[in-house]
Amino acid sequence: MIDLSVNFAGLKLKNPVILASGVWDLPYTKIIDFKKLGGVIYKGLSLMPREGNPPPRITEIPCGVINSIGLANKGIKVFNREVLPELKELGTEVFLNIFGESIEEFSKISSLIRDVSGIEVNISCPNVEKGGVYFGRDPETAYQVTKAVCENTDLPVIVKLTPAASDIVVVAEACQEAGACAITAVNTFPGLVIDIDSGKPLFERVVGGVSGPAIKPLALYKVYEVSSNVGIPVIGSGGIGNYEDVLEYFFAGATAIQLGSVIFTNPLAPIEIIDNITKYAKEKGYSNLKEIRRCVDG
Amino acid sequence: MVTFRILPVIENRVLGPYTLLRIKDRNMHKEAKCGQFVMVGFPSSLDPFLLRPLSFLSIAEDSFSLLIKKKGRGTEKLSELSVGDELKILGPLGRYIIPPKSGILIAGGIGIAPLYYQSLWMSHGILFYGAKRKRDILFSKDFESRGFTVKTITEEERGTVADLVRENLEILEGQQIFICGPDAMIKALKDIIGGYTKQAFVYMERRMGCGLGGCKSCAVKTDSGYKLVCQDGPVFPLKEVSYD
Ligand SMILES: Cc1cc2nc3c(=O)[nH]c(=O)nc-3n(C[C@H](O)[C@H](O)[C@H](O)COP(=O)(O)O)c2cc1C
Ligand code: FES
Repeated sequence: MIDLSVNFAGLKLKNPVILASGVWDLPYTKIIDFKKLGGVIYKGLSLMPREGNPPPRITEIPCGVINSIGLANKGIKVFNREVLPELKELGTEVFLNIFGESIEEFSKISSLIRDVSGIEVNISCPNVEKGGVYFGRDPETAYQVTKAVCENTDLPVIVKLTPAASDIVVVAEACQEAGACAITAVNTFPGLVIDIDSGKPLFERVVGGVSGPAIKPLALYKVYEVSSNVGIPVIGSGGIGNYEDVLEYFFAGATAIQLGSVIFTNPLAPIEIIDNITKYAKEKGYSNLKEIRRCVDG
Repeated sequence: MVTFRILPVIENRVLGPYTLLRIKDRNMHKEAKCGQFVMVGFPSSLDPFLLRPLSFLSIAEDSFSLLIKKKGRGTEKLSELSVGDELKILGPLGRYIIPPKSGILIAGGIGIAPLYYQSLWMSHGILFYGAKRKRDILFSKDFESRGFTVKTITEEERGTVADLVRENLEILEGQQIFICGPDAMIKALKDIIGGYTKQAFVYMERRMGCGLGGCKSCAVKTDSGYKLVCQDGPVFPLKEVSYD
């Protein structure tokens, strides 16, 4: 029996594979067995409902996608009433990804979160007018947001960072100091697509968030930078498409990983990746993830 | 039940300006219902990355067919597939509808595909069908042989499907109407049809990421806020869809 479990932030996940925020919702239970997943992070929630951006909201790029969803969601209150009961039945660790346009909003929403394994603080979404990357680029604001969340919850707090910060390590350190118990690195890269028929940006908000295999080496380097300099665990996110990518993230210092856009191209990827990590460990004669990591630590 | 499988192409046929792909599958006819669609992609390829939403054209016991219009790299590649090549298929997806026995179908261009599929569930009706060129008009005889009256119009000769509908307004009275075509056509029809029937429905098309209600990218503006084509649709009441 191979033990893929990981511990961080006082939690034990049955394996390191987590579904990322914003790419899945409850209908995925029709196709994925959620009990097999290490955890899931729900779509970004705000205090009040948000409509999201006008379409088009997504388009393909070579080996990836760019999106401008704009954090469309029902708001925390409707979520607590309508969605949370179903999430609790999934049989996996559930995290809520939260978003606010101000520090007060982050405080308020944090105080309304209950019955989940932890909170992922989104200070890294490029698709909104206020908050989002604007908070995640500045270490001082990142500190204040993290502190506000930590003061309003007893749950473990993970902060999800943007690769657009001029020095991601400094932002990560600020979050650690403010009480974060893990860092997710990274959210989408800000990017642009122009429609050559109109000569104008495809998205009304101009900027979009780039994800998928196209960003993997870029995101991986951010994980390496953060995990080499910061004491708290790092959850890797960005372009992971198969178990080899997961190994790269482990060796770059990630404790666990998130799968995002890959489920668009293969909705069964999360399960296949878990199976393939198990197979890899078996073939190499490892019995747990620590042994896999140790093979590079020497 | 929604499944994700790798399935082989068993026919690739040029049909007017489009390509008809037939895919071998013994299950789809048991699972799929009227109004639904599939997401289609290339196995072991990260480029093109996304799966494409495509409506069913028809479903048999051993296979289902899709009609493809080349409009980008993905559909270009799809139209070049050979017999024996494989595709990733996710589906059936979307909310199904219960079609009426008889009614009016209004198609623009490639919008004929889902309406053809719907017509297979109906016993008779009227088809208004517009396209750019005469050679783009498909299936007229097929529809007629199944009890449909077919009225066509082409832009190269006379005008758009909206013009055709305007000339035949009295036929619409009290009928259930189903529309599929480009946004400009839907917008024009919304203005024309409103007063003649309360029962008009439209197949909407949007860029999709997941097809499963996960990514919120396939938003359509409605009177009650944004709705998702892959989850709340693809078929919506015409009066709900907002073009303001
Ligand atoms: C359509 C879409 C919606 C997303 N929504 C959110 C969100 O609500 N909150 C968030 O923190 N990240 C969001 N993300 C970012 C992903 O969670 C993930 O961090 C990013 O896509 C990089 O991983 P990937 O390359 O595996 O997709 C979204 C990404 C996509 C593609
Ligand atoms: S395509 Fe993802 S929600 Fe509709």
